[in-house]
Amino acid sequence: MSNIQGAWHERRPANLVYVRDLFRELIARDLKLRYKRSVMGIAWTLLNPLTELLILFVIFGAVLPLNIPNYAAFLFTGILAYGWFQNSLYFATNAIVGNRELVRQPGFPVLILPVVTVASNLIHFLLALPILFVLLVSSGVTVTWALLALPVVILLEFMLTLSLAYFVATFHVRFRDTQYLLRVLLQLTFYLTPVFYEASAIPEPFQWLYRLNPMVFLVESYRSVLIGGQFPAPGNTVIMTLGTAGLLFVGLRVFMRTSHRFVDEL
Amino acid sequence: MKDAIVVRNLSKRFRRYHPDRPWTLQEAVAGGLRRLRAVEQFWGLRDVSFTVPVGQVVGVVGANGSGKSTLLRLVGGVGRPDSGTVEVNGRIGALLDLGAGFHPDLTGRENVFVAGVVAGLTRRDVVERFDSIVAFAELEEFIDHPLRTYSTGMQMRLAFAVAIHVDPEILLIDEVLSVGDLGFQRKCLDRIAEFRGHGCSILLVSHEASMVRDLCDEALWLSAGRLVLRGKAGMVVDGYVKQISAGGRQLGGISTEETSFAAPPAPSAAEDRQAAKSSVDQNRLGSLELEITAVRFLDEEGQEIREFHSGHPLRIEISFLATRRILAPIFQVYIFREDDLVCCDLNTEGTELKAAQVEGRGRVALCLEHFDLKGGLYYVDVGSYAQNWAYAYDYHSSLHPLRITGEGVETHRNAPHHWEISAGIGLKPTASELEPAGGANYGD
Repeated sequence: MSNIQGAWHERRPANLVYVRDLFRELIARDLKLRYKRSVMGIAWTLLNPLTELLILFVIFGAVLPLNIPNYAAFLFTGILAYGWFQNSLYFATNAIVGNRELVRQPGFPVLILPVVTVASNLIHFLLALPILFVLLVSSGVTVTWALLALPVVILLEFMLTLSLAYFVATFHVRFRDTQYLLRVLLQLTFYLTPVFYEASAIPEPFQWLYRLNPMVFLVESYRSVLIGGQFPAPGNTVIMTLGTAGLLFVGLRVFMRTSHRFVDEL
Repeated sequence: MKDAIVVRNLSKRFRRYHPDRPWTLQEAVAGGLRRLRAVEQFWGLRDVSFTVPVGQVVGVVGANGSGKSTLLRLVGGVGRPDSGTVEVNGRIGALLDLGAGFHPDLTGRENVFVAGVVAGLTRRDVVERFDSIVAFAELEEFIDHPLRTYSTGMQMRLAFAVAIHVDPEILLIDEVLSVGDLGFQRKCLDRIAEFRGHGCSILLVSHEASMVRDLCDEALWLSAGRLVLRGKAGMVVDGYVKQISAGGRQLGGISTEETSFAAPPAPSAAEDRQAAKSSVDQNRLGSLELEITAVRFLDEEGQEIREFHSGHPLRIEISFLATRRILAPIFQVYIFREDDLVCCDLNTEGTELKAAQVEGRGRVALCLEHFDLKGGLYYVDVGSYAQNWAYAYDYHSSLHPLRITGEGVETHRNAPHHWEISAGIGLKPTASELEPAGGANYGD
């Protein structure tokens, strides 16, 4: 019996201004720390996906041509979408373990830490978007009204990544090698996600299994919105929304139920 | 007015894991899931109750691992107690870790913003207070340098400056004040005093006995997660220091020993009574194995008095009841003035009690041959302790007022005195003989 839980908001300015400021400071801290001591600063954010683009473009555009139209834009969309997902989860392992003093700060909403991780990686994603638009325009893709659905797709990916980030962060507190296991899993899902190939290349009998990976739907949605000029299929979008909402609910619950023990385990 | 902090029967259990407890999945899989379970549980805090009234400073002393930091964290709402409640009425400012949110690669300025927001301020609040924070920390010249170039003392100054600019109504301070240089320490202490003047309540952990004595109204002494003693800061610190210097077995220890469950080894009947009592009586504390049943003030004719005329002899008689055989108990008499000035602090250490054991009912008396305090209202606290001040059996805090009339001195710490141990049913000397009739005298 205790009346402590849930009390943080009573002791703090529980208003949106405060939460916004907390986000802003923590995200800024994340970004500053990642690039503080490097000369090129934020350019590193772009270097990584661009290198990946170059490699995959050479291999599957020229060496083993897959003959996908607008391949550069096609590739870069997949790389950015998957990159955001991958980096967020990878950094989420450190969201709790790397912020020991914050977790121990009275009244600090621990819940916010995985959100900060996913959000600061979203910023990297957004910073790379202009390059993607350059690629789109230079390959002659016409931008349509379907672009309006882009924020929805981003929001869906945010929710999906966040719910998994809650699991990963919780798990890493207990097992400190989660990071390595995760790296393997993320490498596997990279190939199970249509980053450099088309989802339709998967043989029909396995399609249903393949499509259990929610990243398949998300990457395809980005492409249909950006390249195909079409809104994502409404039916699947609704299923996806409900699915991620459910997952987020479970992830949040697991996180909250274990979060009071974090301080003892750190 | 509501108390700032009310802690009731707070307990926190920690799990001690197998020494080879796997910290990685790989080991967990290789070693079998068996070892994942906690081998043993122990109490980091056990049944701790106290209140911090608004505007008071309460110190927490105790050996390493006695539960001080755990207590502070639970009061701050970090972690969850296994039983008991914490009620906190007011905005909390905390200095538990040196600079929560501080990062060595960020500049002082950036760190102030992060730490300020983490501590509960909005950005606008931080902007408004920024100059004042930096000025208090005396770091104007360095504020745009990375934190890694700061000394520990400088970091602590910055952390403290942020913490006090949160305008806390309740301030939790864990052991950090000792980091700064003396000048800054003085400044912090002044600021704490000022805060308290504004009605801010403070819970402070410190290893420095003198700091607790000077700064705190009351103090809590924790040992192995239990509240050994609560009372006037000076008195509690004295007890603690004596126990340390007596080399008493250190009962504290989250990490080391098996005694956590055992101390104090109270019979369950006594525990029940304690539970019943502590809820009704805020001024009593201890395991009650050696209960103080009555305290009387007697004049030279043996008449009970309520008012004492300075310069005369005074006899303070303590009746006790030992629920089991107890070896080498210590009795203490602690006299302080209404305004907390400590006037006299005497105990039976060094008397024959050291080699005696008591059981059942008995009496000890402190005979002050002449006691010369000047007129005023005083309180006489009495306590009984286990061997080597290990923990308190019973303690009466501010329960026995004594009005003194006439002229005299402010404090009379070395008043001529001796202890009289009544040869009642209780006393069973092991080594020495006792006079059958009058009692044994042990001089000062």
